[in-house]
Amino acid sequence: MTNVVANIVECRGVTKHYRQGAIDVPALRGIDLSIEKGDFASLAGPSGSGKTTLLNIIGGLDRPTQGSVKVDGEELTGLSGEALADLRLTKIGFVFQAYNLIPVLTAEENVEFILQLMGEAPAKRRARAREMLHEVALDGLENRRPARLSGGQQQRVAVARALASRPAIVLADEPTANLDSKTAEDLITLMSHLNQISGVTFLMATHDSRVIARTRRHIVITDGRIASDERRNSAG
Amino acid sequence: MLAGLAWRNIWRQRYRTVLSLSSIALAAASTVFLLSLQLGVYGTMKENVLRLIDGFAQVQPPGYSDDPDLRKVIADPAAVMARLNAVAGVTATAPRAETYVILSYGSRSYAAAVIGVDPAHEAKVTTLGSSLTAGHALAAGDGDAVLVGAGLARNLKLKLGDKLTMLGAARDGSVAADLLTVKGIFSTGAAQLDRQLVEMPLARFQSDFAMGHSANVIAVSGHSLGAIQSQLSALQAVARRYGLVLRDWAALEPALNDVIMLDMSVGLLWYVSVIVIVVFIILNTLLMSVLERTREFGMLMAIGMRPSQIGRMVWIELVFLAGIGAVLGIALGAGFTLWLSRHGILFSGADALFKQWHMPSTLYPQLGWVSALAGPLAISLCIAVAGLVPYARVRRLEPVSAMRAV
Ligand SMILES: Nc1ncnc2c1ncn2[C@@H]1O[C@H](COP(=O)(O)OP(=O)(O)OP(=O)(O)O)[C@@H](O)[C@H]1O
Ligand SMILES: [Mg+2]
Repeated sequence: MTNVVANIVECRGVTKHYRQGAIDVPALRGIDLSIEKGDFASLAGPSGSGKTTLLNIIGGLDRPTQGSVKVDGEELTGLSGEALADLRLTKIGFVFQAYNLIPVLTAEENVEFILQLMGEAPAKRRARAREMLHEVALDGLENRRPARLSGGQQQRVAVARALASRPAIVLADEPTANLDSKTAEDLITLMSHLNQISGVTFLMATHDSRVIARTRRHIVITDGRIASDERRNSAG
Repeated sequence: MLAGLAWRNIWRQRYRTVLSLSSIALAAASTVFLLSLQLGVYGTMKENVLRLIDGFAQVQPPGYSDDPDLRKVIADPAAVMARLNAVAGVTATAPRAETYVILSYGSRSYAAAVIGVDPAHEAKVTTLGSSLTAGHALAAGDGDAVLVGAGLARNLKLKLGDKLTMLGAARDGSVAADLLTVKGIFSTGAAQLDRQLVEMPLARFQSDFAMGHSANVIAVSGHSLGAIQSQLSALQAVARRYGLVLRDWAALEPALNDVIMLDMSVGLLWYVSVIVIVVFIILNTLLMSVLERTREFGMLMAIGMRPSQIGRMVWIELVFLAGIGAVLGIALGAGFTLWLSRHGILFSGADALFKQWHMPSTLYPQLGWVSALAGPLAISLCIAVAGLVPYARVRRLEPVSAMRAV
């Protein structure tokens, strides 16, 4: 990405209403948010406050009811489903709480798959997949399928995959929620490290205080609004 | 890439896949066998019926079949036969003259169809000579000899060596009369033929009916009916050259053709139901697996796979199942059919019905490209087309709702 954009993400007046039968559920009530290049940010807030909704909208998985979202300079509103898929492929890396990996592919193939979708040459993408798995300290486990990896290892593969395409931003939704505290600690350390060495931007929705403690930017959302947005200098 | 993923996906549910493959393979195999049997039966039926008297095709004067008149003739049958014999696949030709006469013996008289045949040629075209129950076939040099159908012999109370009177109208309008000696009695199994037909030497016929060297029809025979069918246009060209027409087997035996067509349409109904059932089973199974994997599809979309790519992947899974199933089915069906085509299938108890169409009671399926491939290809094609249903369903998925699916 050679774009010189200071803000990787720009949300302006984003609202989201879900319809549940006759009831109108407001999930986001006007979000203005900019994520800067290199940010290592957490998005906290009570359950149902709209964290997942906001992440999905930023990631082009869901569409806002109103407002505009720009990712890496590109306006998302108005893009077709297929165009959004292409944007997610090249500009966004996702890490979810669970079910991140393609069960029939090995760890390495899972990482490689993204690059394959991007049309990279076999030798190049294989090398990149190996490199990424090395970055997340999974050497030796390249040929295991997800079912034969621990929860923590699976999340590392997901992180490796999210970074493989050199995305503008990695969006993680409760990445540590299914992990025990030692494994969760290792994962956040890994992500923090990757953020520092490669400057990849992270935005993580989380309840996990250990995650929040390690981020340099701390956004809180309540009832679909940004309640606070603080920066701290050091990442613990 | 999609193919590789699709391939692995179908083996995730081994048991289900084996079941799907088995149902496709069994359905495909059953179509191979049944179609081979059907075609084998038709083939035997046609050849047996046609060899009896018609030949595989005939060259006739125009309008002869609608109004078989002794006066419509092929003036120089030898020349036409020479040309016909030169056509590839033709093994023999036989000239014939035909008319209706009154046959009398003692105080009894019956109407009959009399055919004048050239014994040397006729034996290579038809098998009437081999269905003799008494006496001998016509031979070159026979003069007043006549072969009589068993039914007619019974009606006239004829036995070998008896002399019967034949009375008819000659080509020039004069009365044709002759005294003929029964040389043989044939029984084809077709009651109508046995009651109405007599065969006499062509030379005698020609002089009795003032025909000179002309004939009414030329029957054509070949290695197989198929060999003749593939040369129809060449045969037609010969006929046209002499101002004659060619009648193929279906024109010669319209009733047989109707029976086959009717049987084929009943068969077709069966094939269609087999295909519908198997397509339904497979489609249902795949839709189930699509439903189960909705959440995974949501994840695939999240990481940047296009809905159309996911749809294509699912479609390819179906095509793999259809393809493997069809190949297995062809192998299974062809193996079984080949084995049976060597050993035959004995249909005991259906003799009477079979005899009517001059069928042996042991039938041999006939494996060919058409019977081996038509059913399995139709099945896989239908499955591939039905696969557009899950494809469309996947394409309509929204990532967020897919990921929220359980
Ligand atoms: N697809 C949907 N249909 C209807 N309502 C929805 C849908 N998705 C989210 N909501 C509602 O929108 C609100 C915000 O949900 P969201 O999942 O964004 O919250 P969250 O902050 O991620 O919660 P949690 O911490 O439990 O994950 C909730 O009230 C939720 O019930
Ligand atoms: Mg959430």
